[in-house]
Amino acid sequence: MKNRTFLRIVLFTIFLVAVSPALHADQWTEPTKEELSMTSQEGYPGIAGVYLDREEVTEDRLHMWSVYVRLKVLTEKGKDYANVELKYASFRSGGGYSVNNIEGRTIHPDGKVIPFTGKPYDKLIVSKQGYEGYKYMAKVFTMPDVEVGSILEYRYTIRYDDNYYLSPDWYIQSELYLRKGHYVWKPTSKELVSRSAGREHLTNSLGWFPVLPRGTEIHQTQLPPTATNTEGQLILDLNVHDIPPAPREEYMPPISSFSYRVLFYYTPYRTSEEYWRQEGKYWSKDRDKFIGPGSKVTEAVQQITAGEQSQDQKLRKIYAAVMQLENTDYTRERARSEDKAEGLREVHDTDDILERKRGSGDQLAQLFVAMARAAGMKAYVFAVTNRDRSLFTDYYLNMSQLDDDVAVVNVDGKEMYFDPGSRYCPYGHLDWKHTNASGIRQTEGGGTVIASTVGEPYSFSRTQRIADLKMDEHGEVSGLVKVTYMGQPAISWRHRSLEGDTESFRRQLRTNLEEMLPGGMDVNVVSISQLDDYEKPLVVQYGIKGAAGSPTGKRLFVPADLFVTNEKPLFPHEKRELAVYFDYGSMVQDAVRIQFPQNIKAESVPATSHEQFEKFAAYSLTNEQKPNSVTVRRDLSLGQFFFEKKDYPALRDFYGKVENKDQEKLVLIASPTETGTGSPAASN
Amino acid sequence: MIGSIFCLRLFVRSVVLGCMLCAVPAVAKDNVPDWVRTVAARPLPAYSPDTKAAVLLEETTYTVAADGSAVEHVRSVIKILRPQGRDDGIVAVPFDKDQKLVSLHVWSIGPDGHEYTVSDKEMVEVGYQGQGNLYQDDRIRSANPPGRDPGGVIAYEYEQKMLPYIGEKTWFFQGSLPRAEQIFTLELPPGYTYATVWAHHAAVQGSDLENRRWRWEIKDTPAINLEQILYRPAVSSLAGRMTVRYTSGAAPVDGWQSIGEWYDRLSHDRLAATPEIAAKASELTAGKTDFFDKTEAVAEFVQKEVRYFAIEMGIGGYQPHFAADIYRNRYGDCKDKATLLSAMLSTVNVHAALLMVDDRRGVIDPDAPSIVGNHMVTAIEVPKGYSSPKFRSVVTAKTGRRYLIFDPTWEKTSFGQLEHELQGSYGLLMEGPESQVIKLPILAPEFNTVHRKGTLHLTADGSLKGQIVEERFGDLSDHRRGLYTRGDAKQQADYMDHVLGEDFSAFKVSDVKVENAAELNKDLITAYTIDVDRYARSMGTLLTVRPRVLGEEAPPVDRKTRTVPIDLRETMQIKDDYTIELPGGYGVDELPEMVKIDLGFASYESATEAKGNLLHYSRTLTVREVALPADRYADLQKLSGVISKDEQSLAILKKQ
Repeated sequence: MKNRTFLRIVLFTIFLVAVSPALHADQWTEPTKEELSMTSQEGYPGIAGVYLDREEVTEDRLHMWSVYVRLKVLTEKGKDYANVELKYASFRSGGGYSVNNIEGRTIHPDGKVIPFTGKPYDKLIVSKQGYEGYKYMAKVFTMPDVEVGSILEYRYTIRYDDNYYLSPDWYIQSELYLRKGHYVWKPTSKELVSRSAGREHLTNSLGWFPVLPRGTEIHQTQLPPTATNTEGQLILDLNVHDIPPAPREEYMPPISSFSYRVLFYYTPYRTSEEYWRQEGKYWSKDRDKFIGPGSKVTEAVQQITAGEQSQDQKLRKIYAAVMQLENTDYTRERARSEDKAEGLREVHDTDDILERKRGSGDQLAQLFVAMARAAGMKAYVFAVTNRDRSLFTDYYLNMSQLDDDVAVVNVDGKEMYFDPGSRYCPYGHLDWKHTNASGIRQTEGGGTVIASTVGEPYSFSRTQRIADLKMDEHGEVSGLVKVTYMGQPAISWRHRSLEGDTESFRRQLRTNLEEMLPGGMDVNVVSISQLDDYEKPLVVQYGIKGAAGSPTGKRLFVPADLFVTNEKPLFPHEKRELAVYFDYGSMVQDAVRIQFPQNIKAESVPATSHEQFEKFAAYSLTNEQKPNSVTVRRDLSLGQFFFEKKDYPALRDFYGKVENKDQEKLVLIASPTETGTGSPAASN
Repeated sequence: MIGSIFCLRLFVRSVVLGCMLCAVPAVAKDNVPDWVRTVAARPLPAYSPDTKAAVLLEETTYTVAADGSAVEHVRSVIKILRPQGRDDGIVAVPFDKDQKLVSLHVWSIGPDGHEYTVSDKEMVEVGYQGQGNLYQDDRIRSANPPGRDPGGVIAYEYEQKMLPYIGEKTWFFQGSLPRAEQIFTLELPPGYTYATVWAHHAAVQGSDLENRRWRWEIKDTPAINLEQILYRPAVSSLAGRMTVRYTSGAAPVDGWQSIGEWYDRLSHDRLAATPEIAAKASELTAGKTDFFDKTEAVAEFVQKEVRYFAIEMGIGGYQPHFAADIYRNRYGDCKDKATLLSAMLSTVNVHAALLMVDDRRGVIDPDAPSIVGNHMVTAIEVPKGYSSPKFRSVVTAKTGRRYLIFDPTWEKTSFGQLEHELQGSYGLLMEGPESQVIKLPILAPEFNTVHRKGTLHLTADGSLKGQIVEERFGDLSDHRRGLYTRGDAKQQADYMDHVLGEDFSAFKVSDVKVENAAELNKDLITAYTIDVDRYARSMGTLLTVRPRVLGEEAPPVDRKTRTVPIDLRETMQIKDDYTIELPGGYGVDELPEMVKIDLGFASYESATEAKGNLLHYSRTLTVREVALPADRYADLQKLSGVISKDEQSLAILKKQ
């Protein structure tokens, strides 16, 4: 929802001794016979390539980060790794970095060596005159004469501008297998100053966030002072081997931020607790400064809540007022010149947000907190890591892992969670990505604490799909479909409505139903109700018409539940490496009633079925048969969103049974004695 | 597939951005100029409700100097009509070292009437992002003007100075937005002449403004909005454009020929073979006497051993690198690969020419010579009297010479064939004074095939077990060949699960065997065993089974009125043959009816038969055309309905 400031480390002293750029001389590694002849990596058939070696050495004294790579190409796709793009950036005021000393060679499986004599190209990514002349570039080069079986060997150095230090991040796990990795950091022993959000801190400690294989550790070595380095040298180094590729699967938890890695930082703090306590304090103070509440907010709250007695009543009014404002996350952030044209000053606090009647999701969340406070309630901001992107960990001492702000308000003695920054989120609820999410929140007395938000029960997110259809003597059905979205599905659809206008929203709704129903059915949106009334369900009514079934000579086979006609297996793969992670728990309730003409009868109807996966998921399919109609009801409930890997076989089995049952059909047959018109398939 | 879209410098930029220039009077930089206010105040024509934004004015002036350099001035005014049109208000002007951007001014008027001027500091320069394998020196100067909301107006004016590589300017006057008024002005120095050609639009008479100035005006150009269209052709294949070809002498008689001659001068020395190249070609063709075998060996070397990696700067968008460099580095873009192939073949006495094409069928118009195109392939001359059934992509030029068209950039197209993107389109054969436009062939459906065969056994509990063998050839094998040569085992297994998941809800697949993944001139064969749970459904005494075991081939269609041509993509033939052994104790009660339909552009037939305890299903879908006029959409809908119904048809078994 917004950009977070990042920690820029700046040397306190002005000048440093000039450094020598020469780090690695012309040293290459002779490949072994096994490396030259290898065609695959055991345990990972078909993998595109293998990092035989990867070495990263960061020397603060030299302001340099050198990288050395030996990569074996195993497939056609592996040749893509011959193209290397190294990004770098610069500011007019300094603080950037450059890529230098690119060297490399290609070695064929027969040992033939082809040196890299090409030219690295400087490719512009983006530049701007503003933002201190920010320029983001990339060095691009490609290795020569690469074939399957080649070893690509190259090195380069990244040099930071004088007076700037940047702690290294070691990303160890990638999409390729890593045989041997060596990582070294020789940090400066100088006292540094970190600047963040206008605050300066003397930093004299190092911290790191390690995600490493069991048994792997960072070694620390303190070298004694020497003539050239009178303060001695601390060396942090890590050796890893046989690192598998980072796993990727459908419905996997948002753990891409937790592949094997070590993220370092200079820090003024000694412990994690100290970091979160102090940085939390700064964060909270900044938020409070913005929140106020100022005079305009206070005055507005008096008017909005006039006549309301309970805190709940007041807060509902306030929430509704905030929800009426334009949420620029879904429209467009205005330029400063536009605010100026409207006579608006720069945004300093929630009074400014209220005045312009618009703001980002976070700004609106903070305005809501301000208004709740102005109404005399205890209200706090809670910054969370969005669960659709990543997971929060307090071991990683970095505020940038936090995404969005939600609000916590004590209402009549009970703390409740609110999501005024998510347009159309109902009062007292959270958008799913903010549920069961962790982060940092304000507490009474100006403190902060690491905490988690609440979850929503699965019953909060419900979708009801009801079809009331009539079949004609040719087997074609027509009638009304009513879809009611509650909870998260309603929020999601309402958000989609904000992406365009009525025209595009109606098209999306129509397409959505068309994709569910048997192919070729005519679908039109009849009405959309309560789109803006976020406290009520969103109701969409459709008219549908067309052939719903497959005819044979005598019979017509109609999907029992038309809404799942086109569903495909959720878990087609037998094997699974990771836990299963859905967005949120939910309920889907279908009812399909088809009235038949006199000449058509149901010969067979799917039997009632109930399936259950422990207490976490349930399914039922029932039918109600009358002389001239059949009603099929289907309920599918998912009670939780996270399933451990060990539960996968049972979960897959549950869904397999559900999907099998969903494929069952009504068998209809014409009754010639009543109409004499032949089969229902006559005109299909 | 290796993309080669940016092998040649594209000329679609004007389509993307809206077109170009006019003489720029001095304006107060910080104020919205009067011409913008005037245009913004004009009443808007009636547009369809799905129109996101409209171009109110686009005015281009192209001024050529005596030394051949040119200056282009553009004024453009756009009105945002719907929230989705906000992005159409983002200004982006491309340039490079040979097309310098002298100035760019951007203004806007918000829906509330507030006027804005975007300062230089608020603009950004963006480099070409590439496709992970490309360096190109193109840049874009871009601005995000305020007021980009429905009702808002965006205006910009820029001036670009260039040294054109060829005396040609194409005015792209149609795109995805409707355009109310467009003006193109040409200014030539004394002694210059010009000629115009029009593509996808009737010629418009220009007016002589005197003093060597000419003007063309077009009003109310409709949008080509293909966003929600199935089987959509490329916008550029429908969009109107005018190409002005100018020269300091008499106007060229044959535009294609002069372009070919220009390109010959540009590429001639790049095609020179070195001893190393000759030695490699000799090594590859050693012992081969048949023309096909010889040329195939060299072509496959360039196709497989030379990596696609594009480095383009300035004229490098058109001019290939030296064959020697391409050979040494073993990488290059499409024109590099075509160049190296041509150079190598020349050393074994085979003549090959470069052929400029566009992978968006219909963009190159045979009646509108220009350098509009985005790809380069090779035309290999076939000796007189030689024939081979493996040469499927052969054309005969006006000179009577026959050429095999082959694209060494397309990694998975076998030698002798041509990828479907190019079939039925036009290309410029670069043969110096004999350069000409040629039509590329449409390959017979038999050269792009899928054939699935299954021998299966059904049990009384509904489970289906047995073996499937699938043979693929041509473009229909591309994706899977890529998967089995580039993907890892997990990707391959996941893909197979998803493919089978389209037809089965619970299944196991095992014993997967793949043959000929890298041998493009052989069928790709995938064989595997399936075990499908509850394939047949028991309903009382009935057991229903779908005879069509695998493959959903019904073309997706919608019910909209069709107004644009239909791009069917490719000709093909798909066959299925499944034999299912039925469980004991069951007899056939009903079988799906036989289907047979021939619509000319495509045919479909299927039959289900019961013989003893065997159920046999067979079908053939044949598509013979790559494109259809809009009025054939009803036939496509009909075909889709017939196939869809057949695919869902069931055989009914009854317990005896």
